[in-house]
Amino acid sequence: MKKVVMKVNGRSHQFIVEPDRVLLDLLREDLRLTGAKQSCDRKGQCGACTVIVNGKAVRSCLQKVANLDGADVITVEGLGTPDNPHLIQEAFVLSGAIQCGFCTPGMIMATKALLDSNPNPDIDAIKRALQHNLCRCTGYAKIIDAVKLASLFMRGESTPDAVRPDPNGPKIGVSHPRPSSMIKACGMAQFSADIHLQDALELAVAHSTEYHAKILSVDTSMATMMPGVIGVMTAKDIKGDNGIKLMVVADQNVLAGEKVHCLGDPIAIVAARTRDQARAAAAAVTVNYQALPVLRSPKEAMAQGAVQLHSQLPNLCFRQPQIKGDAKKALAEAAHVVEAHFSTQLNHQAPLEPEVSVAYLEGEGEDAQLVVVGRSINIHADMAILQTALGYENIRYEEAFSGGQFGQKSAMLSEAIAGAAALHFQSPVRYVPSLTESMMTTTKRHPFDMNVKLGCDREGKLTAFDIDFIVDNGAYMSAGTIICLRALRMLSGSYHIPNVNALARLVYTNNPAGGSARGAGPPQIAFALECAIDMLAERIGIDPLELRKINSLAPGQSVSTGHVYEQWPFPDLCAAIEPSYDKARKAAAIQKNGTIRRGVGIAAHSFGIMGPGDVGRVAVELDPDGGLTIFCAVADPGEGNDSMLTQIASHLTGIAMNKIRLVTRDTDNTVGMGPAAASRMTYVAGGSLILAIEQLKQAMEETGARTCEELKKAGKLTRYMGTKKALKEGGLDPETGLGPSFESRVHSIQMAEVEVNTENGEVRVLKVTTTVDAGTVIHPQNLEGQLEGGVDQGVGYALKEEYIHGKTVDYVTFKFPTIMTAFEMESIIRETPRMRGPLGATGVGEMTMVCTAPAVINAIYDACGARIYDLPATPEKVKAALAKRT
Amino acid sequence: MVVDEKDSPRWDGITPRLLDAGDVQQKVRCLGGKDVLVDKDDFLWRPEDWTEDLARALARECGIDTLNDLQWQVIRFLREYFFYHGRAPLNRDIKAAVGISLMELECLFPGGIRRGARLVAGLPNPRTCSG
Repeated sequence: MKKVVMKVNGRSHQFIVEPDRVLLDLLREDLRLTGAKQSCDRKGQCGACTVIVNGKAVRSCLQKVANLDGADVITVEGLGTPDNPHLIQEAFVLSGAIQCGFCTPGMIMATKALLDSNPNPDIDAIKRALQHNLCRCTGYAKIIDAVKLASLFMRGESTPDAVRPDPNGPKIGVSHPRPSSMIKACGMAQFSADIHLQDALELAVAHSTEYHAKILSVDTSMATMMPGVIGVMTAKDIKGDNGIKLMVVADQNVLAGEKVHCLGDPIAIVAARTRDQARAAAAAVTVNYQALPVLRSPKEAMAQGAVQLHSQLPNLCFRQPQIKGDAKKALAEAAHVVEAHFSTQLNHQAPLEPEVSVAYLEGEGEDAQLVVVGRSINIHADMAILQTALGYENIRYEEAFSGGQFGQKSAMLSEAIAGAAALHFQSPVRYVPSLTESMMTTTKRHPFDMNVKLGCDREGKLTAFDIDFIVDNGAYMSAGTIICLRALRMLSGSYHIPNVNALARLVYTNNPAGGSARGAGPPQIAFALECAIDMLAERIGIDPLELRKINSLAPGQSVSTGHVYEQWPFPDLCAAIEPSYDKARKAAAIQKNGTIRRGVGIAAHSFGIMGPGDVGRVAVELDPDGGLTIFCAVADPGEGNDSMLTQIASHLTGIAMNKIRLVTRDTDNTVGMGPAAASRMTYVAGGSLILAIEQLKQAMEETGARTCEELKKAGKLTRYMGTKKALKEGGLDPETGLGPSFESRVHSIQMAEVEVNTENGEVRVLKVTTTVDAGTVIHPQNLEGQLEGGVDQGVGYALKEEYIHGKTVDYVTFKFPTIMTAFEMESIIRETPRMRGPLGATGVGEMTMVCTAPAVINAIYDACGARIYDLPATPEKVKAALAKRT
Repeated sequence: MVVDEKDSPRWDGITPRLLDAGDVQQKVRCLGGKDVLVDKDDFLWRPEDWTEDLARALARECGIDTLNDLQWQVIRFLREYFFYHGRAPLNRDIKAAVGISLMELECLFPGGIRRGARLVAGLPNPRTCSG
């Protein structure tokens, strides 16, 4: 042990610590300062724990406390509070640099250290200063803006008041500060790991070391005897059905009892006094397996004699054709046909916050309520899953602040582990898995394997699209069928293709389970279709932008499902991007020789919003003080749904934004709203909110009441619920795949400008320009923030990200995009009001990354003639494609 | 990689069955003389479609020939609660409103409250996910 005296936020403390105690743990556990976050398993990879020590920004997870005697430490809590924020905190809020907010305190502290030493940094200096700080939401663009704005503030060249929009001014089309952003900037937003539970037991999980095996026995005797261990539980200790049924089938267990289907399946939970004790004991749980054949690919899983992985369904568990017109005939008669095979990788959504959940019992006896706190984006549905899985009805799910999710939280596991343990051990519990565990056990973006034929006539008009795609479902169903159906509903993208023949097949394997991931189906299909369009353009000698423009769907025409659209403003986007496209083509044309070659690529998509049968509900209540409370389970893991609800409500009622109150986070007090997924929140929740407010206003108009009290006296309710229902409902026809598609569409064309090093195959993205028509823009910064973050993820998906089970264990092995590879981004926005959108708006959260990968891949081809068919386009693959070309 | 379906021994329509093709979340059923949209677990997709005749039809499918007064009381409470709060009540809320024990409540409908009463009352399946 060593005695250390140090100042933290100006206050002197004495600590007596073990030599390996790191500053991050001391700040969080001893001082209960939650601003510095833990994400990367204390490897110094993410920067979320950045604080200032003796004037320098340091990653506190790498700092041994024993070496800090006499140090002066400043954390984000030492900078400012929401009532008295630091200028840097103001700058981050006003720049729209805060989405989920998990990385924000670290970013702000790195900025503070930079500006203290360099009051006027250029972009390179900003990048160098923030190079250790990862962000998954923003693509770093608005973070760089925030640092520049902070430097202006600190030099006295501008003030927050000069930048801040007038809160009494217009509410729509104005970037008012997000309601939640300042508490995130001050480190006061409580993420799951920040929640303190008195006397909580720490949990650790023993995971399967096999990909496919029968469990013959689980020996917990040694683990039970280890120091600090309170107990060990296995599947037999779960009172419910132990099944996780997200949508279709309960093929996954909270704890595996009889069989494991993938490396990492949870088998036992250890509860101990400390996390280290729990983890040590979990490692001592021994499992006796009987190995079963491992199916590594859909091909193996569909082969003759392959072992059946799940009793409920065959390995080929879902199949849906789509037949519009006669594609075979049209392809035979087409003037030009391209044919290719494309594939995409298994990928991780890579939110910065690990899969933390805590749980406790509130009350006693029969009335005790199990409270589970986690990162859900669908709290009512997850509560229902927990009720069945755990055999306990009286549950409240509370959504903590969530450090990003990007589709991952359409699935759930850690909450079930925490809830099961709280019930079994009758104790509050904390389950704080490592990043490696989180990456291993959460669902991923499905790999697709696609065979494509695309044909057109002599003028370049598309005549037929044939696609056969096989989706590796991995070990569990999760959202597998939904991914296939979404892919089919958006199959023809932005185009009118009169003849379509598609076949979607979903196959169980022993690979990690696929699930929802930003875009959820369309990104994979768009990669194939948009590359094929470029191949066709080259074949017939038409400019790729022109080919897309002449093939745009027109109002009154139908997409691949036969669904007819009344609005389709895609051609306007082709026109909008044309000047930038021409300029980029000219710049690239002079750099087609030599080692570094420049290329331009485009790709488009028209992304569906509000699926058939979708329903949303939002309630509003007029408050006695003239405010308005909105009740709805609208999760906000970073998109800005709090802005959307607040600004729409204020706009429609005239009530000041600071008197619009949001109740969104727990199942006891909210209206069920469905998942904050599928880009549906603005369209569906916003639409439901408008319907609720209309009822309230009607009641007030009918009675002449102007206050809550007057409304009550007039015998009217003060609370109203709005329900937005999709205009169309029903499924796709089982034989033809025809039927209703999404109610609205958000349209986009993206252009990537890249440089390819033809010697080593490395690709550098110079700029991505996004044109988008998402209807009425409610909050420009939030919209741009979604575009920029999605593009950054799309480039990562295109060039380097890939999850390899057992090998991808952290952000370095994942190849997480950093600020050092951040590139220029431009957004060109058009606002065609949507007929049924709330105030004319749609949604934009997923569309933004759908076009990015094909745009980048097409740009690589334009630069050097190397066509990549298999994502990601690593330097090795680019080099191989170059060699093949020559 | 291309796999011909004939290579798969499971693609034969024989047990175990492939998941039904088409949209797995929604289907139209005729209940109580009315075509309504239900989900895979037969919960109404839209609680506004519910009628008392529909409740009687759903109850018969659950094995209840005639709904008694107490069962109707629970059904009406469920619906009132849902349309005010926008979610299904927990059993404790029903217990407080109806005044019987949790055990009695669970025995009132085959499938209990969650799978029985809520289904008959036309409340949506809380697992419903549209996307």
